[in-house]
Amino acid sequence: MAAENNKNKSGVAAVFSGIGKNIAEIGTTFIEGDWKTRVSYLIMGFGPICRGAFLRGFMYLFCQAGIISWIYFYGWKYLSKLNSLGTVETAKVGRKTVYGDDSFLILLFGLLSLILVIALIALWRMNIAENRKEEQILKAGKKLPGNKRDFLSLFDSNFDKTLLALPVLGIFVFTVLPIIFMICVAFTNYDATHQSPSKLFTWVGMDNFKELLSFGPNGFGSTFVSVLLWTLVWAFFATFLDYFLGMAVAILINKKGIRFKKLWRTILVMTIAVPQFVSLLYLMKMFAKDGLINTYLMKWGWIHEAIPFWTNPMLARITIIVINIWIGIPYLMLIATGLLMNIPEDLYESAKIDGATPWQMFRHITLPYMLFVTGPYLLTQYTGNLNNFNVIFLLTQGGPKSMALAGGAGRTDLLVTWLYKITLNDTNYKMAAVIGIMVFIVTAVISLVVYNMLPSVKDEEGFQ
Amino acid sequence: MANNTSTSSMKQKRAVGNAIAYLVLIAISVVWLFPFVGLVLQSFRSYATEYGGMVEYFIPKQFSLDNYKFILSGESNYLLWYRNTVIIAVFVSLFQTIIVLCVSYALSRMRFKGRTFLMRFWLILGMFPGFLAMICLYFLLKALGLTQAGAVPGLILVGIASSGMGYYVCKGYFDTIPKSLDEAARIDGASRARIFFTMTLPMSKPIIIYTALVAFMAPWCDYVFASYVAFGHDTSYNVAVGLTRWVWTNDYQGFFTRFCAGGVLVAIPVVILFMCLQRYYVEGVTGGAVKG
Amino acid sequence: MKKKILAVLLATAMVGTMAGCGSQEAAQTATDAAQTVQETAETVADTAEQAADTVADAADAADATVDYGTGEIKVWVAEAIVDFTKAQIDTFMAAHPEFAGYTYVVEAVGEGDAAGNMITDVTAGADIFGFPQDQLARLVVAGALETVAPENIDAVKTQNDAGSVAAATVGDELYAYPVTSDNGYFLYYDKSVISDPSTLEGLMEQAEAAGKNVYFEINSGWYNTAFFFGTGCKLDYTIDSTGAFNGSDITYASDAGVVALREMIDLAASPSFQNGSSVSNATNVAAIVDGTWDSSAAQDLFGDNYACAKLPTFTGSDGKTYQLSGFGGFKLLGVKPQDDENKLAVCDALAMYLSSEEVQQARYEAVGWGPSNLNVQASAAVKSDVALSALAEQLAFTIPQGQYPGDYWTLATGLGDDVITGVLNKDSSDDDLMAALQAFTDACAAAK
Repeated sequence: MAAENNKNKSGVAAVFSGIGKNIAEIGTTFIEGDWKTRVSYLIMGFGPICRGAFLRGFMYLFCQAGIISWIYFYGWKYLSKLNSLGTVETAKVGRKTVYGDDSFLILLFGLLSLILVIALIALWRMNIAENRKEEQILKAGKKLPGNKRDFLSLFDSNFDKTLLALPVLGIFVFTVLPIIFMICVAFTNYDATHQSPSKLFTWVGMDNFKELLSFGPNGFGSTFVSVLLWTLVWAFFATFLDYFLGMAVAILINKKGIRFKKLWRTILVMTIAVPQFVSLLYLMKMFAKDGLINTYLMKWGWIHEAIPFWTNPMLARITIIVINIWIGIPYLMLIATGLLMNIPEDLYESAKIDGATPWQMFRHITLPYMLFVTGPYLLTQYTGNLNNFNVIFLLTQGGPKSMALAGGAGRTDLLVTWLYKITLNDTNYKMAAVIGIMVFIVTAVISLVVYNMLPSVKDEEGFQ
Repeated sequence: MANNTSTSSMKQKRAVGNAIAYLVLIAISVVWLFPFVGLVLQSFRSYATEYGGMVEYFIPKQFSLDNYKFILSGESNYLLWYRNTVIIAVFVSLFQTIIVLCVSYALSRMRFKGRTFLMRFWLILGMFPGFLAMICLYFLLKALGLTQAGAVPGLILVGIASSGMGYYVCKGYFDTIPKSLDEAARIDGASRARIFFTMTLPMSKPIIIYTALVAFMAPWCDYVFASYVAFGHDTSYNVAVGLTRWVWTNDYQGFFTRFCAGGVLVAIPVVILFMCLQRYYVEGVTGGAVKG
Repeated sequence: MKKKILAVLLATAMVGTMAGCGSQEAAQTATDAAQTVQETAETVADTAEQAADTVADAADAADATVDYGTGEIKVWVAEAIVDFTKAQIDTFMAAHPEFAGYTYVVEAVGEGDAAGNMITDVTAGADIFGFPQDQLARLVVAGALETVAPENIDAVKTQNDAGSVAAATVGDELYAYPVTSDNGYFLYYDKSVISDPSTLEGLMEQAEAAGKNVYFEINSGWYNTAFFFGTGCKLDYTIDSTGAFNGSDITYASDAGVVALREMIDLAASPSFQNGSSVSNATNVAAIVDGTWDSSAAQDLFGDNYACAKLPTFTGSDGKTYQLSGFGGFKLLGVKPQDDENKLAVCDALAMYLSSEEVQQARYEAVGWGPSNLNVQASAAVKSDVALSALAEQLAFTIPQGQYPGDYWTLATGLGDDVITGVLNKDSSDDDLMAALQAFTDACAAAK
């Protein structure tokens, strides 16, 4: 989306001229086409079927029949209410409850129907192009490709369509549709007091975004800024501390003369293999004010008062970052181990002859190589950490809270965990949707900016 | 290393360096193993003689198998949760691998209209926080009857439906297989599908195992969405949902040691599998790191 | 649907006349008749709606042979009473052959989770579910609660204590069936460590001397009212019958509020203080402020040294002595709105049964839940229960819990966390505390 915004005006102009061209072609095809083509404007695939291209023809026909009947029997009752999201209130008849319109389902299936209608139009356009192509082939005196060849092409020149059909459909229904849905929710008043099916919700325009930008006491605005800042700081430390410490551990294990390399690695890798909900929940208990660490430190007389690992905001943040190092080092260690072996040994040899110290070698050979190669990985790690739900949720659940923060946000809440609380605890879906859009914008902007700064993107041949 | 300049002082220096390195490594190992040792020890704490909640000491006063007996006895639904999780993990792992391989091959080898758009679009989609979609997914699954009692197939469906978006690592791997091989085969008249099944796949064992392994491990940690879809139907829980409740919900007083025992049993298969296939995991991760 | 009502109505009217015979054949004829009547009813259904409503009660009275149809009733209760509830429903079903068309399923969904789940998806939620009373308004707003059936209202009101009835009421409507009156808190303590739990200062001193912990969840809006209500602050919301909040009376920003907040700060500063209220998550415990649901866990924990008491008194910063107060709370049983009247009638009857005197008695015996039923409360067993008597003693000082918006709980946690984290500390001036309380009060008043 951000990439599309980058396109300049000529892009917009291109879109319009494209639409114009399409309309012109639809017109000329109709005027110049034979009757089979003209019937295809109503009954999709009619032309190809008449010309013997059954496979293509019936595919169009089935799609048309399927979409139209789905909308007729099921989709229309939602689609027709999409602009109001329902008007019939839930009512009581005696002791019985008669449910009215369900705004949620109207929005969800209304959107689905809308998308299907768009798909139908696109198919219709393809169907016209198909007719035109066939007519031109026949006019030129050539033969149409047979059904068998059509079918076999699905495993050869059109193999991509075979491979991608199901995945694309799955992503569409289970990722794209929900995201469009939630973007729409950001423009409605869907919250605890407008809860379907017993209450209706409706479109409210930009109201929710205005609420996010309200900076009064307990306004969402100031909380959003504070949570966002911590999210950025957290992602920075979580990414780079892990990165450098992980590399250090890898170098340490790879050091010449160190034995049992496999053992050390295996010990570290345990953290990856043990499910986080087990290890993190245990760690959470361990660091609690009445947990093992405090108890033993006090027993041994090292401290006199329990260290408030989770209840002091600053300390809680530091503890989370430290525990995240515990989680992150093994991954980086694995990656670094693999990559370190790729660095040509003679680079080090010649550096050694020039009298370089180990630090200089690290600084001038190892680090630049690693940064170059793992640049994209670091970026995905950073954006991943921006949305690192598990660590925060399992360790602090975002706490400690403060009166200074709105929407139940805590001092260690990331935008995603805050989002989760707003969704599940407050059922304030509209604000959750707004914050979700904000999270997206933050992630996308950072990714875009950093991506363009990466050395491996600027200079693809650098180290090859 | 042929080091004929090495003197005794150099040797000494290296020995000291190594000693420090060993000390650091041992310290690291202790820190990394401590929580697991703690978990295992707690799981063997006697439920009968010591209280099952949190305690302030590390080593149990009395060891016993009480907690394991409890979770395996059928008094709780633990075995059912375990079975659910295994089923989900196996199916997700299988289908996700197939889908990722298909998508990666298409994106790596085929050139078609909208290819770069598709890749960019999926990249952007991945930046939307997943929770937003959760409620919507719940109602979609509900429309298909795949919530509550049907939560297990529902979770499998959601687990595999969007897996195509995770093509980066695998595509990166396919990119490293020389295209000239494909072209030679095509000149010999092999179809794309044939090349994919008979040439590319056999050469991709590490990445297949990597993809399957990562996909297999994910369902063991799925708490949020799994609890949402199961919706209070406790025979549909997975281990993460079931066990997390034992720690978080006040209804389960004294279940802490049982949680530890359950956690150990969850960790065992995943750890064993991971240890055996670690080599492939490294190849996958590093391959992915290089290609981005 | 109207047709069905009328059919049932006519059928019952017929059965009513025949019921005297009590023969099975009569019932059979009645149902047959009902079916024929149903056909004729179709033509007159529209005009008969009002009549149906008024006679529906009469139908209930003579429901011994009404055809209730079939269906499944889903019940959500806490894990601890799943088996108990199943056994009780079996008894109920055996006693009511007319509900034989209904099957039931009992799922373990804790009271805390039930409301959240119900609100997420009412249609998939349980038909009958247990919940703590603080969720009542939220459930009513979300349309997840049906009012108590008219024929049960009097019975519920007379058999249960007044507080629990008030807690189940929104506006003028009774929305739920009280099950327990034990959702309050008091002090569990270790006799060997604490010899005198009567004052908070003394309690903390003894715990500190022994190097043991005292648990009090002061970052919870439920527990920290012990301080504010203790010094006489008020926290009241008014609510209309749809469950929407329409006004508030909160006096936390007052001298009394400052005394309460300062006491919380003093408590939090003690090395023995721990924030928490769950026995199984507590370690090295000298005392814990907790409720009856933890009584068996507390007995396990303290063993022979198990003891209970009302909450202690404390000497405030103004030199006066205050008794810690708090909420008196209740667990309720709710019925979900139904689009099938027959099923609703079955649910009503079942909920009434599950909250009845005999089941409350049995539940107390099985799991120790303190009853809301007056007769059970008066029974010898309940009266001699250590935990319940401590609670009863404490209840004299508590304020029945009303309805509070979700934001109140969040804000109260924020306030408590500010105390625990030291944003508000011993060095804070009275003005600082007053400012914090003013902000709290304003935010609470703005909450809906």
